[in-house]
Amino acid sequence: MAPVVDRLKTEYEGKVEFRLLNADTDPDAASLGARFAVQYVPTFVLLDSDGTQRDMIVGEVSEDDLRAALDALR
Amino acid sequence: MRRVRSGLRAMALIATLGAVALVAACSGSGGGGVVDAAGLRELQADGVRVIDVRTAGEFAGARIPGAENVPIANAAAIAEAWDRTAPVVLYCATGERSAVVAETLRSMGFEEVYDYSGGMAAWDGEVEYGTVATAAPAVTTSGIPVLYEFYTDW
Repeated sequence: MAPVVDRLKTEYEGKVEFRLLNADTDPDAASLGARFAVQYVPTFVLLDSDGTQRDMIVGEVSEDDLRAALDALR
Repeated sequence: MRRVRSGLRAMALIATLGAVALVAACSGSGGGGVVDAAGLRELQADGVRVIDVRTAGEFAGARIPGAENVPIANAAAIAEAWDRTAPVVLYCATGERSAVVAETLRSMGFEEVYDYSGGMAAWDGEVEYGTVATAAPAVTTSGIPVLYEFYTDW
């Protein structure tokens, strides 16, 4: 998923903040994973600008689908 | 003709022996094997250790109650200290990682390794969420939408 996320991260710079957490090594991954009830990797959690959870995508996702989810954020 | 026929018979015998050897290799040298969710529950009720080989983040998110977290990356090193005669049952998200760890433990001499091949994706029983000691952190934004990706290099 890295190339897709990297492309979108560049494309949405200034519009959406990308927070990428390595579930094996990132110290915040466990607590945030619990916060969002993440069961599998990869998992994408999308929040509106006020912090409200808008969407969760579990597993591999196409670039088009991820772009559509990003476009739906407010 | 006889030679051909006996040759065919010999080939059939070799094929049969090969198949038997293959089945033995696939199922490991000792007990254990692949189990479904009901099998895992039975093993757990019998006191068998349940090992979740997913990452700490996945484990913290949701897990089978009573499971211990031993991520695949550390499994071989941690299992060095375990009793090789004691049965264990492994699971992960979809069965891929647990199958790898099951083979690793068998190659280390563990006698009874069970692999719950359905993983969390197929688990229909109780699920335990969250970490015991860590409070859920507040999630703040910098005024724009946020995408979190939880990933692994594995």
